[in-house]
Order: sequence, then structure tokens, then C-alpha cells
Amino acid sequence: MFTNILSLNFFELFEIPVGFEVDLTELQKKYTVLQQAVHPDKFANSGDMEKRLSMQQTSHINEAYQTLKDPVARAVYLLKLKGVDINLENETTMDMPFLMEQMEMREALADIRQHDEPLDKLDDFARDVKNKMSDMTAEFSSTYEADNLDVSREIIRKLQFMQKARKEISELSATLEDELM
Amino acid sequence: MALLQIAEPGQSTTAHEHRLAAGIDLGTTNSLVASVRSGEAGTLPDSEGKHLLPSVVCYAEEGILVGEEAMHHSLSDPLNTVVSVKRLMGRGVEDLSYLGDDLPYDFIKTDSSVPRIHTRLGDVSATEVSAEILKKLKQRAIETLGDNLTGVVITVPAYFDDAQRQATKDAAKFAGLNVLRLLNEPTAAAVAYGLDSGNEGVIAIYDLGGGTFDISILRLNKGVFEVLATGGDSALGGDDFDHAIAEWLSKESGVEAKCHESTRLLLQKARTAKELLTENDVVGIQLNYGGIEASVTLDRDTMNQLIEPFIKKTLLSCRRALRDADMDKADIKEVVMVGGSTRALHVRKMVGDFFETEPLVSIDPDKVVAIGAAIQADVLAGNKPDDDMLLLDVLPLSLGIETMGGLSEKIVHRNTPIPVARAQDFTTYKDGQTAMAIHVVQGERELVADNRSLARFELRGFPAQVAGAARIRVTYQIDADGLLNVSAREENSGVEASIDVKPSYGLTDNEIETMLRSSMESAEQDMKARMLREQQVEADRVIEALDAALAVDGDALLSDDERAVIDAARQRLVETKSADDEDAIKQSIEQVEAACTDFVARRMNSNIKQAMQGHNVNEYATEDSTK
Repeated sequence: MFTNILSLNFFELFEIPVGFEVDLTELQKKYTVLQQAVHPDKFANSGDMEKRLSMQQTSHINEAYQTLKDPVARAVYLLKLKGVDINLENETTMDMPFLMEQMEMREALADIRQHDEPLDKLDDFARDVKNKMSDMTAEFSSTYEADNLDVSREIIRKLQFMQKARKEISELSATLEDELM
Repeated sequence: MALLQIAEPGQSTTAHEHRLAAGIDLGTTNSLVASVRSGEAGTLPDSEGKHLLPSVVCYAEEGILVGEEAMHHSLSDPLNTVVSVKRLMGRGVEDLSYLGDDLPYDFIKTDSSVPRIHTRLGDVSATEVSAEILKKLKQRAIETLGDNLTGVVITVPAYFDDAQRQATKDAAKFAGLNVLRLLNEPTAAAVAYGLDSGNEGVIAIYDLGGGTFDISILRLNKGVFEVLATGGDSALGGDDFDHAIAEWLSKESGVEAKCHESTRLLLQKARTAKELLTENDVVGIQLNYGGIEASVTLDRDTMNQLIEPFIKKTLLSCRRALRDADMDKADIKEVVMVGGSTRALHVRKMVGDFFETEPLVSIDPDKVVAIGAAIQADVLAGNKPDDDMLLLDVLPLSLGIETMGGLSEKIVHRNTPIPVARAQDFTTYKDGQTAMAIHVVQGERELVADNRSLARFELRGFPAQVAGAARIRVTYQIDADGLLNVSAREENSGVEASIDVKPSYGLTDNEIETMLRSSMESAEQDMKARMLREQQVEADRVIEALDAALAVDGDALLSDDERAVIDAARQRLVETKSADDEDAIKQSIEQVEAACTDFVARRMNSNIKQAMQGHNVNEYATEDSTK
């Protein structure tokens, strides 16, 4: 009769099947529905206990939404549900060709100012990274479904590299734009 | 405590009683109060019909003056007249130099980290000065609306950090106001416009006030306002325009800004000229000071050149916010203009050019924030139980913790939806270590020194272990107002420490207590009677809410034994309520709350379940109808 929503996993909370494929439109709709039910603004006149509960539950829902929305965070979470705790701070891929490729891209980024159209070039990089990431997440999806957790874990390590690269590209774009203004 | 007042549609809890609530825009230059009356939100004027209250407080011979009457003293008595106090909110002594030399006050350094301004009526903090403005607005609201306020929504720049938000909340406490919510100014503006025009889509709110600039990117969808990203600068605004113009004026006229008085004079002339130039192409300025008589003309092009660097700075923030929101300029459907400084035509033009769309200016940019806050206050006070409006905010600046080497490790990133809780584990680096210092910082920079220090505290007394064996879990909990609570716990031993973040730049609890006491005008006897009465009212509220909750869910969610415990606690409260013992009533209320803990939690959970079921049913229904 009584389940505490704080003890539900993120998929159960949003009442969607556990798996990598998530319908983002549905996720967002349900997020809104859940927020309507628990957000602290709905308890502005309530007692401290309700306010505290509402804050905890809304925090949980926000955390769940942020995790499920983002493919990399979602992938990490899926492995965690299978008992595989990834510590992205301390582990990295050892795939040499991949690492070489990453290094080359970093070098190209460092020299971007010499390029004739640096912002266009950065856009190319961004698109490239985005495409690679979607290939990798597709790969993750199938290895995860096949319960091949070691390979899945390796993909996440690489995805993390790509995510960092993406962030660097966007920060570099910001710096260049500022300089051009 | 009111037990879960979730009004099921078509089933109102009690005969509906309209609760008076107000929205307050506590601005750098001007402040306003607004309320929803007969379904219409509007700002409330003073007895002379003026809506804007200048955010000026004068500590004069005859007492504390606020607004227009205080402004008259700003030239003749600058040291005792505080203007633009919002810039000082939540600021520490060491921030003063960063804020510039144009603060003509005598700051007193005290033991507290909060700077105090020396006035003839005593030393005051920025929080107390703001409280005077709030009191004035409260008084205006009570006089206009005819009764006391249930609660208020106070707006703050989205970019305000934790200390600035806390200082604002403390000011409300001094003014005796119940804060339903601190609302971000841009969100408030979107509320005002959203309801008027039924907007759906992504919009940008460009808010340039006297001393702060905010840009927010919001998504509007069926009553839900979701902040996607915010950015801005908490020390940039129309005041900077005034200073740039005043500097030019000083050069042209030969009147030097040598003392407080001449500085104020130049600033006032600059401000007047700026305002006149929205209507006129050219304006003449007469100056007569210190033996210099000068007549200067300023045309709009020259002024535009003077203010353009500041506008460009705001556009950089816009660019960044767009990127954070993962949006293109082309995705922005509307741009809402907020803040008196958006009256400057050059601002409108440059913003319009940047977003490639004509900015919205149909609601008075000075009033739009207060109006939005009033609408939200009306909803939060419970006057619109069926309203779907929901404002989902994000954290404006990343929150981190100091790690080895003076680096800031981010625990919660900027633009994360709030409320949010995040935990991170740390360990000891020395054998036998039994304490750990925790330094909470806010900001985007790598180095702790470049960010804002919010609080320091220590977790002490956990058992000595070898280096790296202790597991210290630090949890950041941020509430819907964007205020932070930090707790730390050594997991092996269970030793805990926690702190509501405010000491570094805020007032300590002791300071607040002292100020509250000294500001209580009523005699002790009156105080006691008032506190008793308040407890009795609270007891009635608790009983009423409990009965309503039991009627709906008592049978479904409680076993007979559980019900008996709650009934007994309720009965005790009914009995103590009529006795004249404030503490006993308080205790009985706490007992009821304790008895109801599980019941409340179950109600909330079943409420969520129902919401999700309702959602699913609706979806199937639409699916069927399309088949």
C-alpha cells in the first residue's frame, strides 16, 4: 500500500521501462506531472514537515530527470542499477587508437586561432563529436541489452572523453566569440 | 502545520476565504508592491498616487525617512541617506572596494563580516536598510488592502548568490513579512506577460535595472515556466550609465566629483539628462557648483556612445545564456524587456538587433516584475487551488567545496533545476585525523580565491583512522528559494555536522535575534499576548487541516491503531488550546505533527501516484480518440 517515492529507482519513479531507450517527450511530460504534485510551491501554506518532504521529493525527481535526460548520465545509472559502479574520476579507457584520435583533436583545437574561419571549424568539430557520440550511445544500447557489461563500461569511459571534448569546444566558441565582438 | 492542503478539484476544503498576499519588487533604484484584487493584478500607489517608491532611506534628525522624502536629503545629507542599498546586500567588507569608490558612506568595520553604515541614528547593515523599504511597502499594502498580509513574494535578480538571497530573506524577517517565496525577477516578468498573452515556446527575459543585469531563457508550456538558463551581472546596470554620463559631464563642465555632494549633484544631473533623452534628441544641462557655472548640451548619439560598452557587456551574457540553454537566437520567440534602464532607446535597439526580434515593451518595465510577483503570491497564498501555474527555477551559480591546493570542486552545477540535493564523498589525508574543515564556495572559477566564500564549518570528533579510511559524505541541499544547507557526516562513525549557509557574509542568528528584539516596539506584555494568540491560531489551523486530511484519506491510509494515536494527539491539542499556555500549545502541536509523520508521507506519495495515474489515463484517452 505504501511506497516511499524516495526509494524508487529513477525509471520506476517515471513509470518507464528500465532500458537505454527513453522517449524524451514522454519523460518531460511526466516530469511536469510529478512537479505539479510535489513542488514546494504547492505547499507554501503547509507545515514544516510537508515542506521538508516536498523538498526532498522534488530534489529526487529533479535528480532523476537530469539523469534520465542525459544519455551519458543515463548509461552510467543503468550500469549502477546492475551493480557496476563506475568511478569516472579514476578510470579511463586504454584504447590506444581512440586516445590518439582524441589527442589529435585536442591539438587541432589548440591551434584553432590560426584557422581562417575558426568558428566554422569549431562547428565542424562539434558536429563530428555529436555524431560520434550518438553512434557510441547506440552501441551502448545494444551491448547493454545483451548484458555485456564490461564492453558497456568501456563505452561509457569513451563517452566521457567525448563529453569533455564537447564542453571544451563550446567554451572555446564562447571565448572566440567574445574576442570577435 | 497544515496537513497537505491539496484541494481535489471540485471539492474545496472550507468555505473559500481570500487570503491577502502581495508581490514586492525590491529594486536598486525603486521598489514596488502589487496585489491581485478582483482577479486583476496591479501595483499599489501611495496616498499621492505614486506607484514607485524610491529605494532610498534617510536616517534624518526627525527619524527614519523612506522614499521620496528621503530622496530630498540625498544631496544635502549624503552620509545619512542610503541609496542603491541592493548593491550591498549580502556583501562582505572586502567586497566594498570591488563595488567601486562611489559609495559615499562611512563604513564601520565590526567583528561581524557584514559592513555597517554609520548614520546619526546608529550603525545599520544593508539588510536593515532594506527592511525599512519593505516596512514602508507593507504599510502601504495594509492601508490599501485593508488587512494584514498572509504572505509576500519578494523578487530577486536570478543571478543573486546564496548570501544575497539570504540577506533579502532576513530583511523581510525584520520587516515582519512572511515570505512565501523568493522569486527570480525574470520569471516574475514572464508570469506577468505569459498570462496576458498566453505565450507558449521559448522566450528571453532581458532585465536591466539600476544596479543589476539578468538574462534568463525560459520555456513556457501549459502554465509551467521552466527556467532553462540564467546569466547576468550583479553589479551592472543603469547606475553605470549615470556614472559614465556624469564623468563626461564633469569633464565638459569642469565641475569635479571631489566630494560626496558634487558627486551626487553630477549623478543627479546625469540621470535627468538620460531620462530626457528617451523623448528628446538633445538636452541642455545647467550646473552651478563651487563657483563654477556651466551650461552643457548632450545629444543622444553622444550618450549612446557613452552607454554602449555596458550594453555590449549585457549582450555577452545573453550569448552565454543561450549556449547554456542549448538554444539558438532563432529559437527565441519573444524577448521581454524589464527594468527602468530598458527605457533607453539604444538598449532596445541593440537587444532587438541581437535577438533579431522586436522586444516586448507593452507592460511598464518598472512594474512588470511586481505584477508577476503578485500573481504568484496570489497562487501561493492558496487563492487559486486549481491553478496549474508552476515556476521551476534553476541554481544561478555553481556551488562547490574547497579541496586540496585551494581548488573549488563543484558539487552542484549552475543551471541545475532546484530544489536539488547532491552528496559527495571525501576522505582524510593524514593518519589519525579526527576533524575536517569544510569551506563552501559559490562561483564558476577553478580557484577558491576567485569564487565567493559562503561558509566555513568543521566536522569534528570522528574516530582516528588511517589516512583515506574515513568516509565523509558532504551533502548540499538547495531549496526552492535557491538557499543552501550543507551537512557533513562521517559514514563509519555516524558523526554529523550541518549548517544553514549564511554566516560568511550574512548576519549571524545572534545578530538577527538582537535586531529583532530591538525593533519590537511593543512592550513585553503585549508580545506575550501576541505570541499566545498566534499559537492558538496555529492550533486551529492544524486541527482544521488534520480533520480535512482525515476525512479524505483517514480510512484508506491508516490502520485502526495509527488512527487512535493521531486522534489522541488531536484531542490533547483541543484541550490545551483553550488554556493560556503558549508553550503547552506549541508542544501539543509538535505531538500532533509527530503522530502524523507517516500519515503525511503516505498522503504525499499517494498524491504522486494519483497524479501519475491521472496522467496515464489522459494519455490513453487521447490515444483512443485518435484511433
